[in-house]
Amino acid sequence: MGSEKEGLSTAESLRKTRTYGQFRCHNPSCMGRLQPQPGVNHVKCPACGMEFRVAWIKPNFPRIRGPVWDVNQKLAEEAFERKMKEEKRDGVK
Amino acid sequence: MALNRKIAYIDLSTGKIEIKPIPLNIRRKFLGGRGLDAYLLYNHTEKGCDPLGPKNTLMVSGGILTATLASATARTHVMAKSPLGGMIGSANMGGFFAPELAWAGFHHLVIKGKADRPVYLWINNGKIEIRDARHLWGKTTTETQWAIREELGDDDIKCMVIGPAGENLVRFANVMTGIKNSGGRTGMGAVMGSKNLKAIAARGTMDIKIAHPKEALEYNKRFIDQITSAKVNQTQGTLGTPFIWGATNSWGGVRCRNFQYNQELYCDEIEPEAIDEVCTETIGPYHMAGCFACQVHCRAKYRIPTGPYAGAYDEGPEYTSQGAFCGEPDCRSMETLLTGNHLVDQWGMDNLETGSLISWAMELYELGILTDKETDGLDLRFGNDEALLEMVRRICFREGWLGDTLAEGGIIASERIGKDSFNYLIQVKGVSNLHSDERATPALALNVATASRGSDHLRSRPAIDLYHLPEEVLRKIYSTPVPYNGPLSSEHTEYIGKPWQVFWQENCYMAVDCLGICKYHTVFLGATLPNFEDWPKVLYYNTGLEFTPREIWDIAERCNMIERLFNLREGLTREDLVRGDMLNHRYFDEPTRRGAPDVVGRVIDREKFRKMIDEFYEYKGLDRNGVPKPETLKRLGLEDEPSHLL
Repeated sequence: MGSEKEGLSTAESLRKTRTYGQFRCHNPSCMGRLQPQPGVNHVKCPACGMEFRVAWIKPNFPRIRGPVWDVNQKLAEEAFERKMKEEKRDGVK
Repeated sequence: MALNRKIAYIDLSTGKIEIKPIPLNIRRKFLGGRGLDAYLLYNHTEKGCDPLGPKNTLMVSGGILTATLASATARTHVMAKSPLGGMIGSANMGGFFAPELAWAGFHHLVIKGKADRPVYLWINNGKIEIRDARHLWGKTTTETQWAIREELGDDDIKCMVIGPAGENLVRFANVMTGIKNSGGRTGMGAVMGSKNLKAIAARGTMDIKIAHPKEALEYNKRFIDQITSAKVNQTQGTLGTPFIWGATNSWGGVRCRNFQYNQELYCDEIEPEAIDEVCTETIGPYHMAGCFACQVHCRAKYRIPTGPYAGAYDEGPEYTSQGAFCGEPDCRSMETLLTGNHLVDQWGMDNLETGSLISWAMELYELGILTDKETDGLDLRFGNDEALLEMVRRICFREGWLGDTLAEGGIIASERIGKDSFNYLIQVKGVSNLHSDERATPALALNVATASRGSDHLRSRPAIDLYHLPEEVLRKIYSTPVPYNGPLSSEHTEYIGKPWQVFWQENCYMAVDCLGICKYHTVFLGATLPNFEDWPKVLYYNTGLEFTPREIWDIAERCNMIERLFNLREGLTREDLVRGDMLNHRYFDEPTRRGAPDVVGRVIDREKFRKMIDEFYEYKGLDRNGVPKPETLKRLGLEDEPSHLL
């Protein structure tokens, strides 16, 4: 067909960017790549300190099941308090 | 071939049925599905018509690729003027109905008027019959489908139906096909109910000739490999869509207690793995199902394990049900989630709208704006599972003052409730926001504010904005097929570059909806899934029509613009809180309190938000008021609309 572009499409060419066996930290500004050891059910992000419970889609395919609530809630409360103080001092950003 | 599928005009008032071919020049301008439906709606609906009156026109369609050898072409699209927001009504569902309709000879139905008694349409191999449905009135969605199959003696008949909510003109009643496939948003079930149209049944054995079958099959293998190798789709195929809600809740991106919080805490019981365990226990290890021609298989099958509905079979729950029956009302029970999901499926109600409105009422109750008088004694505090499910029932059957009031949708309900109830209603264009909280994500906030059918994630959401993809990856995606040299940012809290991403996604999703493909097969949740460059091949091999990626983009832009024209005709005004591209004040005034450290304390900056809208309008070729410039209409070939060509 006349309009067909030869070779890989953009989507196909980006396939090499996929990272199997890893997941990203759920802190959106961190998004550090975490690679849990096979079978573990808990991981801590070395970059931001958030902790997560881990589940396994397949033996080599981990995913975050959910937060470690107590730890991450404490981080959230501290961050909120800090930001509100900053806002009071510097105004809304 | 796919292009010989017809369009049928059905007048339920007179019983007249007219069948026409779809001209090739119309196909080249609008393809099919949602895009062509938008053209038909704009041409066949009078300005200001009553959405629940006989002059509203209901469109039902498949995409141009529906029932061909292309993957995941299961989607059925339904469109009319919305009884919920008074703007464009549009809903899209998976399952098997649209392919069956195509095999029966039709890609598009245009349904006008109102029958003098309950009826259903029976569409079989090129013929359409209007049949009595009085014996079906009052039945649930699944009862109706099985009754029709029994009556017509064919278990392979596929139906799209309404339940009691549609009959009762609940303004957010949905249309259903199968067990759980729901055209949920904007009240298309109420439009069917207003026409006394209980169901459309289809069965077809008419061949669809594929233009280049060998190449179509070969290319589809490549397509399938790209789809199924993506991590996001492997996760969907294991856990279904609840993983999306789970991941979003984990970082603090879901609504909780209406809009007070952005995360539901300690909700382990409704996490996707927990749901998976219940599905495995009640159905067995192979409990995932798929729609027509789909390899992802994101539909979980389950039975409710406990409670008054124990043993009842259903599918899902979708992530939207987690938001509706867990996050927003802050209920954390698996039984409530599965039961709520089952009730809205059976009764035919939009889960999102139902859960959102009840959660809104819960906040009003806790604030004292609603009292026991309005709730008829129901303790409507957050976290009350029994009250939540009871309100679902009352809304469906319009029982009690509050049930009847909420059945009218948020805008009318806020007028009835009065006080400052409207200030707590989280909606855009009269449609409640889904379960996500966009205060930390300006791109997503822009998406829900400007979506054509009201607050919505499936019209223009750049969900991959949350993945922190490297800028070069973003540029590669968002610079095709139209060059883009402006800024792009990997930072989800940023405002720069986001209007272009939303504009690109708007065209991407429209193209998918015209083709008839599921959004899990494009750049929605996965950056590496097919998009504009991949579709010309699928189109050519299956239909013989040649398009460049840029031409498909142009079609999508045209179709989005005709939706905009419809909304403008119905009163869209840029900053109007009911009929505009504007968000509730809480987005700007109340900071987020939960979630990841960089998510807490966030609001949307009003001025930056306005600038994003300005920029978004520029990309679309709109003026500062959101009205298309004459040169834009000319460029898109819409200067003569409504043209009444079809």
